[in-house]
Amino acid sequence: MATDFWASSHYKRWLVDRATLKQARADDLQYVDDPDYLDFLAIYFANVISKLGKKLQLRQRAIATATVFFRRFYLKNSYCETDPFIVISACCYVAAKAEESPIHIKNIVAESRSLFSQENYGIKHFPSDHTKLAEMEFYLVDDLECDLTVFHPYRTLLSLCRKEAADTASLFGSEEGEADEAGVGISGDDGPRYWGTGEGQLELSEGALQTVWFIINDTYRSDLCLLHPPHIIAIAALYLTFILHQPTRDTILPQIAAQNHPNHQPETPQESTPQPRRSSRQANHHHTAVEPPKKPQDPITFLAELNVSLPLVATVAQEIISLYTLWDRYKEDAGPDAPRSSKDAANSPFSGSTGGGGAGSGSVRGSVSPAKRSVTGSSRSASNAGTPMDVGEEPVEGWNEEEYVTPVMLSALLLRMRESRLADMSHPASGRPVAVNKMLERTQAAG
Amino acid sequence: MLGDWSTDILQHDPMRIYRAKRDAARRTVTSKYNIIGFISSGTYGRVYKAQSLDDEGKIHAIKKFKPDKEGDVVTYTGISQSAIREIALNREIDHENIVALKEVILEDKSIYMVFEYAEHDFLQVIHHHSQTLRSPISTAFLKSLIYQLFNGLVYLHSCHILHRDLKPANILITSSGVVKIGDLGLARLIYEPLQPLFAGDKVVVTIWYRAPELLMGAKHYNKAIDCWAVGCVMAELASLRPIFKGEEAKLDSKKNVPFQRDQLLKIFEVLGTPDEKDWPGVVDMPEYQNMKRLDPFSNRLSDWCQSRIRTPSGYELLRELFAYDPDNRLTAKDALQHKWFYEDPKPTWNAFQSVPAHQIPPHRRITQDEAPSMMPQPAQNTSHQASFASLSGGGPYGQATGGNGTHAPSRKKARMH
Repeated sequence: MATDFWASSHYKRWLVDRATLKQARADDLQYVDDPDYLDFLAIYFANVISKLGKKLQLRQRAIATATVFFRRFYLKNSYCETDPFIVISACCYVAAKAEESPIHIKNIVAESRSLFSQENYGIKHFPSDHTKLAEMEFYLVDDLECDLTVFHPYRTLLSLCRKEAADTASLFGSEEGEADEAGVGISGDDGPRYWGTGEGQLELSEGALQTVWFIINDTYRSDLCLLHPPHIIAIAALYLTFILHQPTRDTILPQIAAQNHPNHQPETPQESTPQPRRSSRQANHHHTAVEPPKKPQDPITFLAELNVSLPLVATVAQEIISLYTLWDRYKEDAGPDAPRSSKDAANSPFSGSTGGGGAGSGSVRGSVSPAKRSVTGSSRSASNAGTPMDVGEEPVEGWNEEEYVTPVMLSALLLRMRESRLADMSHPASGRPVAVNKMLERTQAAG
Repeated sequence: MLGDWSTDILQHDPMRIYRAKRDAARRTVTSKYNIIGFISSGTYGRVYKAQSLDDEGKIHAIKKFKPDKEGDVVTYTGISQSAIREIALNREIDHENIVALKEVILEDKSIYMVFEYAEHDFLQVIHHHSQTLRSPISTAFLKSLIYQLFNGLVYLHSCHILHRDLKPANILITSSGVVKIGDLGLARLIYEPLQPLFAGDKVVVTIWYRAPELLMGAKHYNKAIDCWAVGCVMAELASLRPIFKGEEAKLDSKKNVPFQRDQLLKIFEVLGTPDEKDWPGVVDMPEYQNMKRLDPFSNRLSDWCQSRIRTPSGYELLRELFAYDPDNRLTAKDALQHKWFYEDPKPTWNAFQSVPAHQIPPHRRITQDEAPSMMPQPAQNTSHQASFASLSGGGPYGQATGGNGTHAPSRKKARMH
């Protein structure tokens, strides 16, 4: 069933374990001296897909689908034996069609050529002949085993949560609005949606919903979409929002603090594992008695009552935090195509706007530290334009400004990986494979 | 450091090594299937009957999408939207009453979809009864066909899939009497669409089976359009000819969709001219002013059914499927509960159960002589390609082009699988 995750190709064929992921990167690992660089490449490629997607005015869901296609493709292939840039273009081309918003192949070729030839990437040879991209599409679809329907956490989020407002007509802006429009008369007999009837949906502020949305965007910078089902990722993002989104956090903390954890130190996210929350939930039941009767469901109870494994949710949340930690060492060069997050925020699905491309494509990266109490929607957006923010205030241990990993470095690394691989293949008797150990010097020279 | 070979690969054909690996690993169509003969062709490509070369030796229908051509040299031009849809949806679904996709083989610039084989289709049954037997389809047979059709449609709709091209030629029957909905080339998911449906395809559903809201230019439509089409199919099985056999007005040079005057007249002649009471939304339809200029008709569906459907509950079912207001039209789910299906004779899972052996339609005709070779070769006989009326064309956009699909359906060629 195309709308039943448990019967989907996504669930049946495309969730893998860490060992499989590791195996998929085995060849690439020979050509980097630090496995972290493969994770940086994962961020780098996702950013490229996102940039190309925005230039093509793809919606966030189509960009997410393209990213999942890319990850699935590299479950079976190596960076060092392929050209990830033409794969990226093909992923966007197929994803646009799979999400029913097709784009002419000539536009994709033109936008790819213009984006990839920028200094960051330095791809001078992207083919202008569109049959090369069509050829890549053909092989890509084959490698994807024709499984082109992808599930995303956004859908879970839209089913689980809604914006706190009496004005339900403007709920979720464009995404939901379009579904309503196009599906007049459909919903009546459709029964429960993905996560039930919509009754008991968690009401969140617009800022909180945006934060969840942005955290979900960020998860595509990693392999999480290959490891975990989308609903778990959505719930983990929701859980992190309770910690990272200050206003939401401020409403939750007193509830927790007032309970049987008088010495609880809410500043440490690691402590907010499901166990203390479960106990605080029971306390919250007492609490609700003194609250106004119409007070919406409290977030902790809501999380606890979901029929999912909370330890798994906590694990995924940890993995997202690890991604942010890694990402803090990555610096996307500020260029003409750096994400304009304030604009993104304005176009986010929760703002009621029906704007076109790039909707809801922001990130919360940089706001992960719970110490940054001042993080709000606007300051997050402002700090989100591709530069690591508040670096001086909170330097990542062992990393100085000069040691940030940049697209220029990674582009150079990728080229060296591919050259080394070709050298090994053309001289198989030379005692290779030998790991390439001087990556930093080379990339610094290149940068 | 690098030789010419490496530089050439990096700069001019970076995916060469990858392709060589993939090509070496791929199993070809002819290594897995023996092509028995040619079944049919259309704008999408051709369908062949084939036998699996494995131990089971099962029979399959292989649909080969026509590669777009530039001259005689076959090049990659991008997979059509129609093929992407059909592949993507078929990979997700699994139901007794939907034609099952066994595998997809991408080989040498062509896409081959391997389906389970079905010996018959509704159109063939209609022809058999009208041309050979010269007698109507029995109620028991009719009821079984329609019940199973609804059963498959309930599944599609529960998956939020609109078929958008239901017609007799696309509804198949296996030799054991199981109905199989086929050709999802125009079908699509309607769950939280990123764009409104009309933005993708200007024209959906073959004209004779097209619901009134589509003919009236509605921008939004839903599952009810498939239920209308089932009503048309049921009426056609009962009367052995299309109930609303209108002439399609062609798209103009700017690809604007014209007012489908003749098709609407054909509908109004049987169902009467709709008014606000039947269909409150009719006044907001883009073609409402055009519609008001047509001669008024009154509803005579009851008369129409008298000699053809024969039972009051059968008439009731048809009447509810032909509700003008899409919101009042019977849903597939409710149709399965309709009392017509609970009256004797009841529907059977083998639709042929009550059919005398000599009345079962003959096996699907396959041809050898006019069968174009399945493997690529230049300059095909174009007579196979021109006249099929499916809407599932494609181009570099992958949009259904509509251009080829807007002729009045040609029955001679309208056979697939």
